Amino acid sequence: MLATAATGLLAGAHANAQDYSTDVPTTTIDTGLLYYHENGRVRAIEPDLNLTQQIGEYSVLTLGFTVDSVTGPTPLGAVPSTLPQTYIRPYKVIPLGTPVTVTTASGGSVVTLVPPATGATTETLSATSTVPPNTYPLDKSFKDLRYAAHAGWQQTFSTGVTVDGGLAYSKEHDYRAESVNLGISKDLNQHNTTLNAGVNYEADLSFPLGGTPTPLTVMNGNWKGPDTTRSEIDAMVGLTQVMSRRWLTSLSYSYSTSHGYQNDPYKIISVVDPVSGQPTSQLYESRPDLRHKQSLYWENKVHLPRDIVELGLRGYRDDWGIKSVTAELRYRYMLPGGTYLEPHARYYQQGAADFFYYYLVGGQALPEFASADSRLAKFNATTYGLKFGVPLDEGSEFSIRVEYYDQRGNGSPFYAIGQLRQQNLFPTLTAVTVLLGYSYSF
Amino acid sequence: MNMRRRFKSCSPRRRAELLLLAGALASLGGCASLGPEPWRHDLMAEPAMRINAAPLEAAVDDHIYFSKEASSGGRSYAGGGCGCN
Repeated sequence: MLATAATGLLAGAHANAQDYSTDVPTTTIDTGLLYYHENGRVRAIEPDLNLTQQIGEYSVLTLGFTVDSVTGPTPLGAVPSTLPQTYIRPYKVIPLGTPVTVTTASGGSVVTLVPPATGATTETLSATSTVPPNTYPLDKSFKDLRYAAHAGWQQTFSTGVTVDGGLAYSKEHDYRAESVNLGISKDLNQHNTTLNAGVNYEADLSFPLGGTPTPLTVMNGNWKGPDTTRSEIDAMVGLTQVMSRRWLTSLSYSYSTSHGYQNDPYKIISVVDPVSGQPTSQLYESRPDLRHKQSLYWENKVHLPRDIVELGLRGYRDDWGIKSVTAELRYRYMLPGGTYLEPHARYYQQGAADFFYYYLVGGQALPEFASADSRLAKFNATTYGLKFGVPLDEGSEFSIRVEYYDQRGNGSPFYAIGQLRQQNLFPTLTAVTVLLGYSYSF
Repeated sequence: MNMRRRFKSCSPRRRAELLLLAGALASLGGCASLGPEPWRHDLMAEPAMRINAAPLEAAVDDHIYFSKEASSGGRSYAGGGCGCN
């Protein structure tokens, strides 16, 4: 959700070159309600509120709030098997000797007591779940509630320079992110050109339920290590150019360095028998603690005699070995009275991280880094959507957008061993999103 | 001369990247004469013609893709939560 702050601020910076209206509303309230539903997996509901307040002629204040409630099964990272599999995770720490009456936990798992170490004053309850044969292993206990807020200030000077700054905060039950950003933009060439640059610093704290596991150790029910930190610095430079009366183009380059704990503490990777392909153990994943990312984003808007076409292209690469391309197209089909229909299509393709493995093979040396998180695999994804917007009265608009997302990878790698040849190692992920929006300016 | 030799010693891919960069820098200079006169900015003044005209929608999308894909950033700063799902 920190992206909200940054996006809003950059939008403001870019908008300088194009905002000529003298009758500008001083307050805009933007609200949204998102419903997100993956087929057989996660569901999320997310209300959003953004406030933009013009203060005097040269200052703009932005505030935003988001609540994000997520529930539902999420992939563990383990491979399926022809045999039932059990997974264990720490569930709760209790004082030594506390009578245990709980027998089931969230997701239908069985709660058991982990034998305490000698001299310990607390003991751990662990939850064991069983995955049926030939079933993609999912963690059914996943549940999260996130609160996020951001505030920004933008100040325009008579020299055509705009400076903006902002703060953002987001908190989940197991993660906290705080960030600060600063940007500058300059209008040139009779407001036809805007140059902008910005920097964002983010400091995160990760405190997973059950503690932080040691990478590449065997999954177990013991309470694990202390909280961990991660920091990230992003820098961005951009150029927005009005090419003609109808064509606006914008090019942005961003560079990002992140350092610290970058594992998903809940993801595991299976170690399989080299002949049968049956999982023999499950290890916690291991990712490098340093990551450098680069992306180049090119956006175009063309105003046809009646309609508006928008084309965005992004190239991305990082030193984890991931490369991706994204292409996005929107066509705003204007109907009478300011009403519009906007079909949307997005295509995304990424290569795998250098340390992505569907599984590790028993008897071989462990790599330094290994993850079976499908989000680090090679896959392509398409999104199709349709938005309908209608102005209710002057300054207000209601919109509804429905989208379908489809992510496909290779579920049958040619080198799969034994029973893994008959399993789908990358089930297709599909999701539907419905976004209701209402904005009001006055 | 030295620059030309250095350029020739680059890989074809690196050469293409350098040419693209040179093109981008050259186009920066060209920007001074690009674009319509101020009285022909009528269409650009429409809210829908702004870059990131729907910031709330863009932020929602960015967070979904950040949670489901390995790439992030481009039009906004990356990050904002764990994405552990």
